[in-house]
Amino acid sequence: MTKPVNIREICLGMLMEITEEEAYSHVVLRETLEKYQYLEKRDRAFITRVVEGTLEHMIQIDYIIEQFSNVPVYNMKPLIRNLLRMSVYQLKYMDSVPDSAVCNEAVRLAQKRGFYNLKGFVNGVLRNTARRLSQVRYPDPQREPMRYLSVKYSFPIWMINKWMTQFGYETTEIMCRDSHVTRGTIVRCNLAKASKEEIIQELTAQNITVKQHPYLDYALEISDYNYIGAVSAFRKGWIQVQDISSMLVAEIAAPNWGDYCIDVCAAPGGKSLHIADKLMGSGYVEARDISERKVQMMQENIERTEAINIRAMRMDATVMDEESRGKADIVLADVPCSGLGVIRKKQDIKYKMSEKQQQDIIRLQRRILQNVQNYVRPGGTLIYSTCTVGADENQYNMKWFLENFPFHLESIDSYICDELKSRTTAGGYIQLLPGVHQSDGFFIARLGRN
Amino acid sequence: MALRQIRIYGDEKLAKACRPVQFVSPRTKLLIRDMLDTMYEANGVGLAAPQVGILKQIVVIDIGDAEGEDAEPGIGCGDGPLVMINPEILETSGEQTGQEGCLSLPGQAGMVTRPEYVKVKAFDEDMKEFEVEGRGLLARAICHECDHLQGIMYVEKVEGDLFEVTDEEEE
Repeated sequence: MTKPVNIREICLGMLMEITEEEAYSHVVLRETLEKYQYLEKRDRAFITRVVEGTLEHMIQIDYIIEQFSNVPVYNMKPLIRNLLRMSVYQLKYMDSVPDSAVCNEAVRLAQKRGFYNLKGFVNGVLRNTARRLSQVRYPDPQREPMRYLSVKYSFPIWMINKWMTQFGYETTEIMCRDSHVTRGTIVRCNLAKASKEEIIQELTAQNITVKQHPYLDYALEISDYNYIGAVSAFRKGWIQVQDISSMLVAEIAAPNWGDYCIDVCAAPGGKSLHIADKLMGSGYVEARDISERKVQMMQENIERTEAINIRAMRMDATVMDEESRGKADIVLADVPCSGLGVIRKKQDIKYKMSEKQQQDIIRLQRRILQNVQNYVRPGGTLIYSTCTVGADENQYNMKWFLENFPFHLESIDSYICDELKSRTTAGGYIQLLPGVHQSDGFFIARLGRN
Repeated sequence: MALRQIRIYGDEKLAKACRPVQFVSPRTKLLIRDMLDTMYEANGVGLAAPQVGILKQIVVIDIGDAEGEDAEPGIGCGDGPLVMINPEILETSGEQTGQEGCLSLPGQAGMVTRPEYVKVKAFDEDMKEFEVEGRGLLARAICHECDHLQGIMYVEKVEGDLFEVTDEEEE
């Protein structure tokens, strides 16, 4: 008989890839679940839960480990460090797994992976954690507010520091807390293919819970389904998975009948398709992105939704395309960003991003803006957007752009619901904050060419 | 260390019932050594004599530190291999459904329901009779290997289709 797969070893391998080798969690998870398709549903769910949960609470878990270990987490062997992390996650957050099983399995795995001499260490740390977990003392919110937030919500100190300076303690806590909330998936009704009523009917027929989103009439929140590929309304191209914030981009872009629109960083294509939908088959949307893989992904989405006034093509947003100069009625620049507004969906962002990396990203964002502003015809519109929070990549970039190029801000109030209107929206931009708004963290500015 | 060639599903030896062992000759001892070497080399947890082409009632099992929250250390799990000559299952209880694979059908696996607990009687290499109990993975392995001695492959018991499996890479 052959050796059965050890699902905890699979989890450990994934965590090693994600935390030690810079792989992205959602990619590793997708690839692993594909590779082990034959595993039982229960095992697949366990793998997903342990890997995502460990990443979600990693700073807190490291804090707990250090209460019971003489060796700081960063000094441990990478394999041992990740083995302890996933084990402490199970001890603290998974009541269904007995503590003894967690400890025994961890010790076995340490041994199996060649760390025979560290068996005692692993065993000691985990048994102590299991016994004294409820007695762990966490940083005091009054005396060390930054450290308190950092450990409680597992956010790096530099990020907390930045947010607290800009948004204050309370809003920072709201944003951190929101990253741990589970919500349904937001979808856009593709009204060119079906009415909202038909779509709701189709979804509820599959026992999917449907909720109206407050910001846009055609946005729904769906939950209680296993896998989006099995949702019939999705397969028919009636709905597109897209956060509400991203839908607001097309609303604020507000295309007119027959407009020519270039989306310069378009993958996976949600915003482009939305604009194409709003154009009701008129005009033309060019969905560009940098890699063949991304273009492929957009191509699939276009085919599924059967939109006719859109084309996906490979083009680098930092390289000038003379053909497009002064041609576009609308340019969407949804630029690569630090992604701090979507941590809820991609937990490892908060550990992978650093202040230095953010500086590199800002330089890239400005290069893209500098290039693609050329494509906007006089009187045309440039929409600048990111899925991050914080002034560096948003307001400061916008300010820099206005100082250097012949553009002005245009009020977005007529495109958004009352709930979202504020002083800044009248001024031409909006910063959505996760938890404060019912959306991802997102920034959108509407810039008109003089 | 000598490795023997593992017969692949379809080989007629795998479909035949095996003869009981009357006495343990030096050749039988050598066969048992070779079976263990072959099993460990193939990264397996169990091997039956017909899988190396010998129609004798001999199985070797070592689930080692393989998964199993319920696996208590003992013979066959972590404390050395379990060698059984002329094994006979005395008692079974409970049920477990899970993935099972066979060294004679590499790269594939299927879902098989087995008893959760088995009690088995067998002879050791000195032809001394002993009894052993197994739960979880050990119980599964005992059933799987004893089936081989009757010419039964797990594919006859599989629920649903067989599927491709990838070997876990080890460092």
